[in-house]
Amino acid sequence: MGRKKKKASKPWCWYCNREFDDEKILIQHQKAKHFKCHICHKKLYTGPGLSIHCMQVHKEAIDKVPNSLPNRSNIEIEIYGMEGIPPEDIKEHERQKTGGGKASDSDDDEPAAKKKATSALLGPGPSSVTPGILPTPMGPVPPGMYPGPMAMNPMMPHFMQQRMMMPGMRPLFPAASIAVSTPSKPTFPAYSNATISAPPTTSSAAADAKENGDVKPPAANSCPLVTATGAGSKIIHPPEDVSLEEIRARNIKYRPKPKPDAPSTPVSAPPMITPSTSQAEHNFQVAAHMSAAVAAARQQQAAAMRRPMPMGMMGMLGQVRVPVPVSMPVPVLPVMPQFNLMRPLQPGMLLPGGMMPMSAMFPGGVPGLPMMQPRFR
Amino acid sequence: MTVTRVAESRTEFKLKSLPEDAISSVKFAPKSNQFLLVSSWDCSVRLYDVSANIERHKYNHELPVLDVCFRDAVHSYSGGLDQTLKMYDLNASTETVLGDHKGGIRCLEFASEVNAVLTGSWDGTVKMWDSRVPNCVGTYNQGNERVYTMSIVGEKFVVGTSGRKIFVWDVRNMGHVNQRRESSLKYQTRCIRVFPNKQGYVLSSIEGRVAVEYLDSNPEVQKKKYAFKCHRIKEAGVEKIYPVNAISFHSVYNTFATGGSDGYVNIWDGFNKKRLCQFHRYNTAVSSLSFSYDGSALAIACSQLDENQVEDPKPEDTIYIRYVTDQETKPK
Repeated sequence: MGRKKKKASKPWCWYCNREFDDEKILIQHQKAKHFKCHICHKKLYTGPGLSIHCMQVHKEAIDKVPNSLPNRSNIEIEIYGMEGIPPEDIKEHERQKTGGGKASDSDDDEPAAKKKATSALLGPGPSSVTPGILPTPMGPVPPGMYPGPMAMNPMMPHFMQQRMMMPGMRPLFPAASIAVSTPSKPTFPAYSNATISAPPTTSSAAADAKENGDVKPPAANSCPLVTATGAGSKIIHPPEDVSLEEIRARNIKYRPKPKPDAPSTPVSAPPMITPSTSQAEHNFQVAAHMSAAVAAARQQQAAAMRRPMPMGMMGMLGQVRVPVPVSMPVPVLPVMPQFNLMRPLQPGMLLPGGMMPMSAMFPGGVPGLPMMQPRFR
Repeated sequence: MTVTRVAESRTEFKLKSLPEDAISSVKFAPKSNQFLLVSSWDCSVRLYDVSANIERHKYNHELPVLDVCFRDAVHSYSGGLDQTLKMYDLNASTETVLGDHKGGIRCLEFASEVNAVLTGSWDGTVKMWDSRVPNCVGTYNQGNERVYTMSIVGEKFVVGTSGRKIFVWDVRNMGHVNQRRESSLKYQTRCIRVFPNKQGYVLSSIEGRVAVEYLDSNPEVQKKKYAFKCHRIKEAGVEKIYPVNAISFHSVYNTFATGGSDGYVNIWDGFNKKRLCQFHRYNTAVSSLSFSYDGSALAIACSQLDENQVEDPKPEDTIYIRYVTDQETKPK
């Protein structure tokens, strides 16, 4: 008892299994998270101390240490920082660290307390799920991976899964926080690296999420919607996961008059959709947009390799480009036919993503486009 | 002498004769804190003499210009939605079209190491160009993802794309990608800047978050990586999370400034995980930042790029030049 850690391993909090860089910060954490009186917010020094305080001052009995793991909620044990941790638990922790110390890339060293808090904050509405939120191990990403067909087909099931495991997932963010030089954030160094602590025993949701994250194709991750992370927050960005510049570039006033800009098809950005109602649908839109862009890029590349013919088309369009005055009224009609030409692209794209055969790009067939020729050249 | 006195007497001032539309990029000249290149959605590229606060040069593209960079004191490169890379000789006032991409050119960097200019495009490629003649030296696929941001210091060249991919190249050997990574942030990559000491890079996302990452893949080094939240404002119980649009390094101290759509500029000490300071809130989103080569001045471009967020009346597009102090930029 009362043995101080002398090993290289980091101080950790017995109540929530979280690791810290510094014992001082661990103590601050314990005072703030586990030893704070819920009634008057006084910070006590130990579990028994808190119990006695509540009993004497507020005449209330406390039977559990706040924000602790269920098997670590004993209020009787006197623990202060690393002092007072039962030796068997220290051994257990050691064992978990060395034995189970897999992938240091995981970000789940957030305290269980925080997890609870977050899920509570998110409330019942799973509106905040973002497909991209899954904890992918940042490990090997297959070269040349892009959000293509894989992202599309299993969309629905994934989406459902994500909804369900949401509460556990959110904290898996690399929620690192720099010292914003506010003393009220004493915990920041704990986030500073990704050393994994023993996975919190409570939240099986987190574990599930993790497994799921492993099997999930990374491609599905790379096409997230930009949705808020919680009920209490809102990302100030259009819902589509496309850069602000690309979205802005769709504005009619930035378009060359005769030239449809292939990668960005619809002029009007899809309206803000509440994620809880039609996120899936929106997913498709975004996915369609992205794969359309990729496919278009590919088509162009392929075309470039093949022949001057489509190139000529591009070039020709390029020549007739006219700088559009900024003051031009928005509903410019001449542009629309070209969009119509692009329209069929969208539904087509939905199915096989970027792998779309060239012919599907222009269902009617573009006259003169040497579809099959290159092979025989 | 008088000129510098005038500048120093004011810590911050607005540039005159500004672009008429959103400002996409500001870049200080490589060896002076007098000249600033500015690209804009009004299709123009302008060169400002910051000390005298006058516009020195202006040339146009057919469509909005998304980025601009210096080759040396007298040559600039620019590209944008017209997919064309232009070189401009600031002495002779002549422009040369070096070539084009199949998509909008989103970003440009000059690689002094190999004396070439690099262009990153929404067509999913980076191209390298001989800096003097219209000659594309190579085209490098970036996983078919649209290039959103690039940064180069010495030979270290980092590309951030859609789909949260990151490609690390060595410009001396563009035959293969050195590293392919996935962003450690969960949301769209907004900006990447390599540390002046080349140890790593800073990456920002649209979700008010910034990551500090190291290039050395040694696990010990990788342990040092971290990320933090910033550019968030709590208003009436709702936390508004803003994109972090711009990052610029202080070349001397290895500290960096971030600018967000919240209109704030913060300066951070990435190695000590400290925020050094926050400036006042600017009139609208900060779209681009550039420290001068010696770190004494910071150009701050303020433009709302997200047209859904434009308030009424529309905030004007402005560029501030702020002369920063050691207290604001030096690690404590």
